[in-house]
Amino acid sequence: MNKAQQEAYLREYSQAKKEGKSFFPYAIYKDHIVAILAFGWIIGMAIWHKVEIGKPVYAATTDFVPRPEWYFFFLFELLKIFKGQNALMPVIMATFIVPNVLMVLLLLTPFIDRGPERRISRRPIALATAVVVFASLAWLTHKGATSEAPTGEGPAIQNLTPEAEAGYVLFQDNACLSCHKLGGSGGVLGPDLSNEGSKAHGVQWHIDHLKNPQAVSPGSAMPAYAGFTDEEYQNLGTFLDGLGTKWKAG
Amino acid sequence: MSTTNIGPKGPAGQVGEAVVDYVEDRTGAKTGLTWFLKRNIPAETSWFQTLGFAAMAVFGLQAVTGIFLAMYYKPDPSRAYQSIEHITNDVTWGWLVRGMHKWGASAMIVLVFLHMARVFIFGSYKYPRELTWVTGAMLLIMTMFMGLTGYLLVWDEKAYWATVVAMNITASAPILGPYVADILRAGSEFNGDTLSRFYSIHMLAIPGGIATFIGLHLFLVAKLGISEPPHSHRLARVRREEEAARRAAARDRQPHGRRQVTPETSPQTISAEGGS
Ligand code: HEC
Ligand code: HEM
Repeated sequence: MNKAQQEAYLREYSQAKKEGKSFFPYAIYKDHIVAILAFGWIIGMAIWHKVEIGKPVYAATTDFVPRPEWYFFFLFELLKIFKGQNALMPVIMATFIVPNVLMVLLLLTPFIDRGPERRISRRPIALATAVVVFASLAWLTHKGATSEAPTGEGPAIQNLTPEAEAGYVLFQDNACLSCHKLGGSGGVLGPDLSNEGSKAHGVQWHIDHLKNPQAVSPGSAMPAYAGFTDEEYQNLGTFLDGLGTKWKAG
Repeated sequence: MSTTNIGPKGPAGQVGEAVVDYVEDRTGAKTGLTWFLKRNIPAETSWFQTLGFAAMAVFGLQAVTGIFLAMYYKPDPSRAYQSIEHITNDVTWGWLVRGMHKWGASAMIVLVFLHMARVFIFGSYKYPRELTWVTGAMLLIMTMFMGLTGYLLVWDEKAYWATVVAMNITASAPILGPYVADILRAGSEFNGDTLSRFYSIHMLAIPGGIATFIGLHLFLVAKLGISEPPHSHRLARVRREEEAARRAAARDRQPHGRRQVTPETSPQTISAEGGS
């Protein structure tokens, strides 16, 4: 809007006010009706859908999906799309670039769109942007809401050496399955580990990765497992390094 | 101020008036409130323009239910989970207050998003309300952070792992990421201090920020006036009138003899016939 358009707007608006009504009570009564409806909805939901409480931390169960409140689902879903498996889909897209671009665009909206037109029917670009943003958020949220909890113990694995067998027990006891798939079952936040061995990282790489995932795999969202004994690290590392090569999830 | 205001006041009325005058004299509160409540707004404001108020009301509700939860909650990793169980199962009405706080959080997010959508659709972020939008965007971001920090407080496994992941994501951001994550986690590891830090951020830092920004946001809304819906009947009328005036002016600018006239019926003929 140039100077003349701004002045025209202000003139028009003060005319609208002159022909208008007092905020109290004509607008504020509508405000209160809607607020009371919102309160009613909240109390109703609190009564009919009693809040639950999950299992305590370190319950060593795997049948849960580590996921945030539903309004962050879209971010977690982005993380699944940009897994960093190849250079075109870097993790940083999901963890940094997309969210921050969205945030900056949000803050800067009024400085980007400065045209005088306010009717949405005459703002095709604004309308298209709104529809695309809303549809993608809704779609990602829906995907996040319907992703299923992994069930049970994890698959049977053949040909395990005793060392790897001990590693597999650790794997099952430390919620790894809630983020990783193994032979078809498990969570989806992290990569499928069924063929992890084929990457030939080596046992030491896995130990370093477990102790500090971010140091080995920059931008990783995986939690660090710093509390194992040296032997346990060795077992788990051995197990991971042979997955899909020396032993297969059935 | 109204016509029913006749006759002498009773003692209670006199005291009330004196108190109002006393406060008004020293603060201008009455003038301020009258300015806020008795200002004119465009006549055709729509129901969609109530969503911001609803978001604000729910924020108030969150503050009240949050105060009651804080009376029982223990921000300590070894007791947090039990204290939530205690609130849910033992405390009188505890399940209801916790449920209201939890559903209220979702309701607030939804209302804030709908409010933003209406501001966007109405083009209300345009001149002169750009900075109202910016303060609103800050409110949206802070509201999301309320959700993030509050979620961890339950200290169950879902929330715990999700927050660990969220913190790792934060830490992976370039340049400031690692520092922000260390500040949020109270160190480079997720530990007991992380919980009390989230607690203090959730119930002191961000609510203070939200309250401040709601104040700014509302002040701007009141000062600039709420925008008129762009599809109002009044604006449609104004546009029609402007268009009619433009056409009339354009017609007047044309040479007299060229007004939508066909050769057979020239003005002369008409006036000649009309005169007969
Ligand atoms: C909260 C979710 C989560 C949990 C729990 C989790 N991981 Fe991960 N993991 C991830 C994510 C995300 C990645 C991808 C980023 C990376 O490579 O570090 C990953 C990556 C990996 C990789 C590397 C894949 C590669 O070759 O790049 C291995 C191996 C792994 N995880 C093993 C484990 C083991 C073993 C456990 C249990 C002790 C475990 N994870 C628990 C989220 C998780
Ligand atoms: C905690 C969150 C918020 C609260 C409590 C809040 C409150 C309000 C209230 C009470 C109004 C008055 C009119 C109405 O109700 O529509 C308003 C107007 C406005 N809000 Fe918000 N708001 C919030 C978030 C936002 C967000 C996220 C944005 C956009 C990014 C935003 C932008 C605006 C703008 C531009 C106006 C002026 C609209 C006009 O004049 O028509 N607000 N807000």
